[in-house]
Amino acid sequence: MSTLSYLLSRLLQIIPTFLIVMVIIFLLVRALPGDPAIAMADAKATEEQLEQIRQRLGLDQPMWMQFGYFVKNVFTGNLGDSILLKAPVTQVIIERLPASGFLTLYAVLFSVIIAGPLAFVAALNRNNWIDVSVRSIFQIGLSTPVFYIGLLLLTFLAAKLRWFPVGGYGATFGEHMYHLLLPALTVALYTSAIIMRNLRSSVIEVIDAEYVQFARAKGLPEHVILGRHVLRNAMISTVTLLGLSIGNLMSGTLVTETIFAVPGVGRLMLDAIFARDYPLIQGLTLTFAVLVSIIFLLTDMIQAWLDPRLRVS
Amino acid sequence: MKKFLMATVAAVAMVSAFPALSAERGGTMTFARYDDSTLIDPIYADRNPDIWMVTNLYDTLLRTGEGGSISGGLASDYSVAADGLSISLTLRDGISFSDGTAIEAKDVVFSLERAANADLGPWAGLLASIDSVSSDGNSITITLRNADPTIVSMLATFNTAIVSADAFAAAAGDTDQEKSSALSVDGFVGSGPFTMKSHQRGTLMQFEANDHYWRQGEDGKALPYIDGINFLVIPDDATRILKLQAGEVDGAEFIPFARVAEMEADASINMELFPSTRIIYSPINTRSERADGSANPLADLKLRQAINYATNKEALVQLVLHGAGKPVTSGLMASTTQLATDNGPLYQYDLEKAKALIAEAGVPAGTEITLTTLAGSADDGIILAALQQMWSEIGIKLKVEQVDGPTRGAKNRSGEFDIHTYGWVNDVNDPAQVAGWLGYYPTRKAVGTGWNNPEFNTLFEASNTEMDPAKRADQYARMQEIYAEAAPLLFMYETPFAVALSQSVKGYVQTPLGNNEFATTWIDR
Repeated sequence: MSTLSYLLSRLLQIIPTFLIVMVIIFLLVRALPGDPAIAMADAKATEEQLEQIRQRLGLDQPMWMQFGYFVKNVFTGNLGDSILLKAPVTQVIIERLPASGFLTLYAVLFSVIIAGPLAFVAALNRNNWIDVSVRSIFQIGLSTPVFYIGLLLLTFLAAKLRWFPVGGYGATFGEHMYHLLLPALTVALYTSAIIMRNLRSSVIEVIDAEYVQFARAKGLPEHVILGRHVLRNAMISTVTLLGLSIGNLMSGTLVTETIFAVPGVGRLMLDAIFARDYPLIQGLTLTFAVLVSIIFLLTDMIQAWLDPRLRVS
Repeated sequence: MKKFLMATVAAVAMVSAFPALSAERGGTMTFARYDDSTLIDPIYADRNPDIWMVTNLYDTLLRTGEGGSISGGLASDYSVAADGLSISLTLRDGISFSDGTAIEAKDVVFSLERAANADLGPWAGLLASIDSVSSDGNSITITLRNADPTIVSMLATFNTAIVSADAFAAAAGDTDQEKSSALSVDGFVGSGPFTMKSHQRGTLMQFEANDHYWRQGEDGKALPYIDGINFLVIPDDATRILKLQAGEVDGAEFIPFARVAEMEADASINMELFPSTRIIYSPINTRSERADGSANPLADLKLRQAINYATNKEALVQLVLHGAGKPVTSGLMASTTQLATDNGPLYQYDLEKAKALIAEAGVPAGTEITLTTLAGSADDGIILAALQQMWSEIGIKLKVEQVDGPTRGAKNRSGEFDIHTYGWVNDVNDPAQVAGWLGYYPTRKAVGTGWNNPEFNTLFEASNTEMDPAKRADQYARMQEIYAEAAPLLFMYETPFAVALSQSVKGYVQTPLGNNEFATTWIDR
């Protein structure tokens, strides 16, 4: 199978995924207890006011008609208006997505920078004190709640030493880099621990592989063995893990976004759920589905590049 | 009324505590909020982060002035007809909107008709007595369908604030709400002390001083004193406080009560506890049967009274508010509300009385009652743990059910609960709203409790057209007496608004209704 046809087949797989997500999210949102009209109007509204709201939102229509409108609107690019924010869902998501995207990529970058070299150092010094120290430090990152690390960093590096601002996002690219450094680091301390553990065991596995021993027997210099044979092969499973992490982080940085006051989609999703903001929950979930599909597609592409066997199979 | 007056006097005193001449002008204040505004429009503001900001951008015809009395706002004076069926107002001379155009009678007619239009905003019901609004030159006449003792207060309330008729006519959009959204930032035209400069949803909202605002400061120049306000949205309590401690913001609202003492001990911070109309209470399902058809023990008045006596409210205040609050003294409203009666703490902790009532009611030991709490709410967790212990003394086994806000709301409406936690802040300067909410069955089944008392309902209806203040006060006193006796609620406590400010910020007020007042705020540089 050529790279192009592999890409096409993967692209086609996204379509059913997307359709299934649409059905599931439509049904799941409506299965939540609580009524968006009540959530929207607060407790003070009378029954008549609630009925007016339900009519305005089309919630008095039969379920299949609501689904029909939903599908039609999605394919015409109209995700409706947010009940909570009284603004078009598309506009709200476009406003909030960059902060989450920035934070995610920043955190992944940090994770790779932190975890990559240390995983190699740990693997090459397997079971001696260096390996044990590196693993222990990362274990702390893995076992400490994100909100606690976040608050510690904010308290000492931002509020006490004033090296960084206490939360926020800033307006320019430089300000984003500055404001998001602590939240990205907070997230990275967790993800880098996972990546480090995975990369370390992959490296250990690959170092012992026959083709590496063969390369060494051929007399190849150590840096060529590590760079060409060990790194490339050890990265295959780590790339998968990174792809999954990015997918999770895009929608799952809720705690970090809240503590650091980052106006991202994680926090927006929580607000939307609490407000039973059906259009916004649906819009966000579809956006996440598309983004995660794209990220997984890219992950597959990179894997296929790293491991030609995948393209053939 | 006295209590309300005292609260208002206290609030005003806080402003006037700073010598008039020392008020400095200029500077921009940065204020950390727990949530962002969505649409700050007098008639569409339906969440507190919107409602509490309205009067910074739009001024009202009348104002709640010193001593709690109603005084002139955009209208220099007003009079109510002897039969109570009409109100005449005179619009102040030479006042303008933020775009420099004159505020005219037509704007008042437009704003009031819009506010009373039940097809538009959620507050139209508060103006249901308005039949028509007409104008002649600078004179405005509001004709009422029936006498309405609340209407004057309503003209000093956010939902009747004045918007520009011309700006709405020119705004993009087909519906009133579309026009309002279009005007909310671009092309903003307001009548309050500030104008909307920019708004990045969920992050930053910027107000700047309205150069055309009519009210004057103590120095004889136009308010506000400050050039503008930057509102940062910081949902996390700890981060808001850190932001203040780091000097990045000048004020932070909703300080958790657990941290009030720490803020008070910080010399760089001025910890303010503004009197509020906020009450925390728990509706009790009083129906004879639960929603599942089983017998409801709480239908028995004696059991409801017993659990009220068995609840140590002082202890709850200490546990939840760390002392920064007090047990309710009127079951029907906060003590700061007009016409609140004060007969001391309601159902003061008395275990013996509680046990006697339980015995009289014949409630068997080990009777199970479910408390529905908000999942993730630290306060609710503390309340539950405390009540479990307190009520075990009278043989009540308290179970817990944790739900989120909308589910709790739905349960309240359908009656699928025994007792659940709840809170309330008045939106208007009159007790009718809270009394209607908590006690008047036709409004919302007496806050979902199902309590339906004909005498209370009749008194409430009569009080809504009673123009004699003394008679109305008597009606309210009796309603509060009936309500306390019937105990359709677990009566709990009232809390202040906790705002931490940098020492350089002076003259900031949060009113008992929650309104954030920045018009008289200044920065001591």
